[in-house]
Amino acid sequence: MLLAVLFSNTDGNILIERFHGVPAEERLHWRSFLVKLGAENLRGAKSEELFVASHKSVYIIYTMLGDVCIYVVGKDEYDELALTEVINVIISSVKDACQKTPTERLFLDKYGKVCLCLDEIVWKGMLENTDKSRIRRLIRLKPPTDF
Amino acid sequence: MASGQESAGMTLMDLITSDPSAAATSSSSTAAPSTLGKPVITEKKSKRATLMQIQNDTISAAKAFNPIKSYPQKQKKKPVSYAQLVRSIHELAATSDQKSSQRQLVHHVFPKLAVYNSVDPSVAPSLLMLHQQCEDRTVLRYIYYYLARILSDSGAQGLSPGGGIPTPNWDALADIDAVGGVTRADVIPRIVEQLTAEALNADIEVHARRLAALKALTAASASNSEILGKLYEIVFGILEKVADTKGKRRKGVFSKGGDKESIIWNNLQYAALSALRRLPLDPGNPVFLHRAVQGVSFADPVAVRHALAVISDLAARDPYSVAMALGKQALPGGALQDVLHLHDVLARVSLARLCHTLSRAPALNERPDITSQYSSLLYQLLLDPSDRVCFEAILCVLGKFDNTERTEERAAGWIRLTREILKLPEAPSVSSKGSQPKDALPPKPSSEKPASKVRRPQPLIKLVMRRLESSFRSFSRPVLHAAARVVQEMGKSRAAAYALGVRDIDEGSQLHAYAENIEFLDSDPHDGSQSEAIRKASLLSNRAGRLDTIAGLLASLMEVVRMTVACECVYVRGMVIKALIWMQNPHESFEELKSIIACELSDPAWPSALLNDILLTLHARFKATPDMAVTLLEIARIFATKVPGKIDADVLQLLWKTCLVGAGPDGKHTALEAVTIVLDLPPPQPESTSGLTSVDSVSAVDPKSALALQRLVQAAVWFLGENANYAASEYAWESATPPGTALMMLDVDKMVAAASSRNPTLSGALTRLQRCAFSGSWEVRIIAVQALITMAVRSGEPYRLQIYEFLHALALGGVQSQFSEMQLSNGEDQGASGTGLGSLISPMLKVLDEMYRAQDDLIRDMRNHDNNKQEWTDEELKKLYETHEKLLDLVLLFCYVPRAKYLPLGPTSAKLIEIYGSRHNISASAGLNDPAVATGISDLVYESKETPKGAETIDPDLAMAWVTGLEDSAWGSNVPAMEKVNEFLTGAGTDAPDVEEENITSRPSVTYEDMWAKTILETYEAEEDDARSSGTSSPESTGSVESSISSHFGGMSYPSLFSSRPSGYGVSQQLEQRSATTSSRLGNTSFGGPSSTSEGLGSPIREEPPSYSTSVLQRFESFENPLAGRDAQTFGSQDDADGSENPQFGKALYDFTAGGDDELSLIAGDEVEIDYEVDGWYHVRKKRPGRDGKMAGLVPVLYVSSS
Repeated sequence: MLLAVLFSNTDGNILIERFHGVPAEERLHWRSFLVKLGAENLRGAKSEELFVASHKSVYIIYTMLGDVCIYVVGKDEYDELALTEVINVIISSVKDACQKTPTERLFLDKYGKVCLCLDEIVWKGMLENTDKSRIRRLIRLKPPTDF
Repeated sequence: MASGQESAGMTLMDLITSDPSAAATSSSSTAAPSTLGKPVITEKKSKRATLMQIQNDTISAAKAFNPIKSYPQKQKKKPVSYAQLVRSIHELAATSDQKSSQRQLVHHVFPKLAVYNSVDPSVAPSLLMLHQQCEDRTVLRYIYYYLARILSDSGAQGLSPGGGIPTPNWDALADIDAVGGVTRADVIPRIVEQLTAEALNADIEVHARRLAALKALTAASASNSEILGKLYEIVFGILEKVADTKGKRRKGVFSKGGDKESIIWNNLQYAALSALRRLPLDPGNPVFLHRAVQGVSFADPVAVRHALAVISDLAARDPYSVAMALGKQALPGGALQDVLHLHDVLARVSLARLCHTLSRAPALNERPDITSQYSSLLYQLLLDPSDRVCFEAILCVLGKFDNTERTEERAAGWIRLTREILKLPEAPSVSSKGSQPKDALPPKPSSEKPASKVRRPQPLIKLVMRRLESSFRSFSRPVLHAAARVVQEMGKSRAAAYALGVRDIDEGSQLHAYAENIEFLDSDPHDGSQSEAIRKASLLSNRAGRLDTIAGLLASLMEVVRMTVACECVYVRGMVIKALIWMQNPHESFEELKSIIACELSDPAWPSALLNDILLTLHARFKATPDMAVTLLEIARIFATKVPGKIDADVLQLLWKTCLVGAGPDGKHTALEAVTIVLDLPPPQPESTSGLTSVDSVSAVDPKSALALQRLVQAAVWFLGENANYAASEYAWESATPPGTALMMLDVDKMVAAASSRNPTLSGALTRLQRCAFSGSWEVRIIAVQALITMAVRSGEPYRLQIYEFLHALALGGVQSQFSEMQLSNGEDQGASGTGLGSLISPMLKVLDEMYRAQDDLIRDMRNHDNNKQEWTDEELKKLYETHEKLLDLVLLFCYVPRAKYLPLGPTSAKLIEIYGSRHNISASAGLNDPAVATGISDLVYESKETPKGAETIDPDLAMAWVTGLEDSAWGSNVPAMEKVNEFLTGAGTDAPDVEEENITSRPSVTYEDMWAKTILETYEAEEDDARSSGTSSPESTGSVESSISSHFGGMSYPSLFSSRPSGYGVSQQLEQRSATTSSRLGNTSFGGPSSTSEGLGSPIREEPPSYSTSVLQRFESFENPLAGRDAQTFGSQDDADGSENPQFGKALYDFTAGGDDELSLIAGDEVEIDYEVDGWYHVRKKRPGRDGKMAGLVPVLYVSSS
């Protein structure tokens, strides 16, 4: 189960969040936990370098993409490596949507597009599409495989 | 732009709209509400007020959403509000045919609206209108996005399950706004209807919209059965049309080619299976299974992934029918084989899980052909290029499938890993259809597929080890973390195998031997049945070949694992340490592990949650292998010394306890030693002087961790006192030494020598505690003295005498220094002096004095009777019995002892007590306080000899049976020991394990306490009991696993060690009162008057330095001579209680007219009863109602003279 996908800026402001199966009262904990994790480890990190953390049986993979921090949280079949798949898909389609490694401004300008991409990637707590070009087609309401 | 410092503290909406260009356009769209009337607008206008109201809500919600505190900021641009966005949608929807409107929607309105987790239902009509009329694909894509959000919104305060800034609670507002309010209930059916119609539309031209509509529909909550039904209908409808194609399959399809029709079908297949995956499983439904199985052969990789996931979920429930439905798919050439080459990691992961489930399913035991197909598939996945898939396959082989831990399954996994020989046709990356005809032979009973000549058969373990080793060389942190986790799971399986006594895995034996044998076997294909025998035989073959033994492989793997500790990510390191702990063999030296951990812990980067997690790993490791208790305790000690501030003392105590209980008869001494080593720690050294890696140096340089270390030491001391008797198997009530012999040993040296020769464990613990009582900090000394008294009460001679001597010396030391202070006093208070424990010790000493005196009396009486050849009269017996009972009550003030067994008068009294007890039908557990005895009824009931067993009482014999059952025999072998511990751990919170765990010490005492709490205590007050709880066996020990994890040590308040449970002190005190009332004779024994000694000792408050927290003071105060002062009424608690009960009366001084409902009018001279005072007002009660009929209310304090 993909519990959460979260985007924040370098100051720890949350830009996008998608939770699944996390009770509302726990979300605040997750937000602050993740933001703290990022603040402690992501400073000076290379873009797209993956970081890992775990909390009990929950795994967290996070990274920095330009000015944007991305966190994914999962458990069970979404372990570190599956989350790595997820975050790689997210990274590639965010870059695709922004046309390059995003600055915060660029990311916010493409906010809607990123949301749509995310909608295609994570669907009800499961990874859906992984192919960049397929996602690009889907957010334009074209069929996944075009003819 | 607005990034960096400037944006700190802004809301998300601020951030998004802070772009000048974007803001300019958006404000032009929103700030100029056009007058392009139309129905939508009028509806909107009626809601204008509501919208404004909502706008405020939303902005504040958006601010709250930001977890980082928001600073007051100067806003350059007004952020677009939710209400403005909504208004724009309504307006633009009306003009959706214009290009500019569409652009406006796509570029400004929809993206900004996405900040919110959902939109409110009032937007839905406009969205639906756009959905029908708009042609622009991007607009439509957003429409589906928002419709899905509305559907998924559960309607609770606008807080959708997805997260994001909450939208206002529209339903509530719409209800209030009766005119034209739109609620969810109104729009959901419309949305569903429209989307359903679209999802059923078979027109090829719009099939992309069809997919999107279906997807949006699945967002609806699963609780809505109506929508679910519709969804099933749609999905199965689509699948019926498209699933049955004989897939002209693969490869070609994705590369541009492929006819249009089949591509559309593929897309529909994908959409249908994706939707199916999101629908609840329908295990009994053959159609469901059938469609999912068909999905495996679909062309779309995502569809295949979903199909496999669904099937593997189903297989967990009904493996047989799944295997039947899959039929030949698993055979070479079948669809499952194709999945091996599918470029979708999660699909292969699902395949691994499916194969594992089916190959291990008991339901398929009859069909070895099927299970072998699947295990062969599983082994092929071990060669998968993706680490994720390979690790999943390894975990499956190891028996780690889901979160349920079954030891047998795990042990079988280890055997499989170490025994299995793999003969794979070719690496899947190379294998292709070419090899399939050759492989498509009927599968043989032996689990391997026929070997192709290319690859030598390999031992499974070698393959796995090699793979793991190469993973550990990766630079990617996730891969390292995952690999360490796999090693940890391997360690778990190995431990399980050992625990089950699978000893015949000779890790030193050679692997090639098997391989060759098997190869030999395979050349003779009819001979599969003998393979097992030959494998066993091959175990014996013993050619030296260091690297090819299991032990050699493991060693080289562990070498790599250890190197990984150098990773800079603490989580990876944490996982590595866990893996090392699990892979640690009980018989190997653990010096290396110890030094690794000690070295690691010096790093300040470790978060405390992770450290506690590792401590719990130690705990789990102990559960698996109780042999390792001492090793693990040593490791735990490193945590205690290195990072005292970060670990939870409760987790540590839990570990200690479990280890002590589980360590077995021989291990108990060592286990206790390991715990008490904490006490011998040298004081923390400055960081510079201590070697970083030294295990024994304590690093607690900052005040916080110094305090935490202090707390750990307290916990250890307490633990020692509470459990020393258990560890030493020494109990007064089982001691054979007659009391007289103790007196002969009054020579101190002899006494100590006798003690240590009789029971080194106990005397060792005693020595440690004595040292703590002398030299520890204030808090430690208090606990040490309490621990000592506990031991004194519970142990027989000569320990009791030894402790008595010691305590006596301590008390005297205190007195002497006080005297000297008085003499030398030059008017200055010299502060703390002596041991400072006088007031604590004196009541304890008095009890011991009482016991010894009573023992002497008894011996004298017995001698008299013997000399005079006199029978004991009933009156004498009664007196004796009463003394016995009284002493028992006193003893129980300090710690728990089993009432029925404990003989304060010494073993010789047993007979007389028993005679009296049986003569008068007194149950041993209840004693004189048994109401029947107290009222004399029991004397009338001579017939019934059976001890009444109330539901609330634990039969002490039963308790003792537990004790003895546990004592030595039960721990003789490991397996039952482990089961016991497991029972204890899994049964957290139940009653029974506590008895096991704590032995006799505390659980029954709670029962007694509860009993008394129920029967006697009415005026019980929790606080006072808390303050007085010191002497009893602490509730800490009685807590279940859960309760002890919840922090009793939380905060610095020391008494929390003896946390909130109503404990024995207060209870016994009540009990004492009762016994005083029921039998008056007890009252005037030697306990009566406060003696001068106790007065002298009982003035502790001046002794102690003022800096201690009030709780300690209060607690200490409460200790002020609780025993001596019955006449003097030093029980402040009772005074207080009475005081609060006492009504206070007063008289109205002046007339007062009530100014409000809660006030009360008074006429001068009215007699009132004052209930309480609050802020300058009395709440008073009049004798009779006044003119206004009111009896009680508030009056100003100054108007009433309180008497």
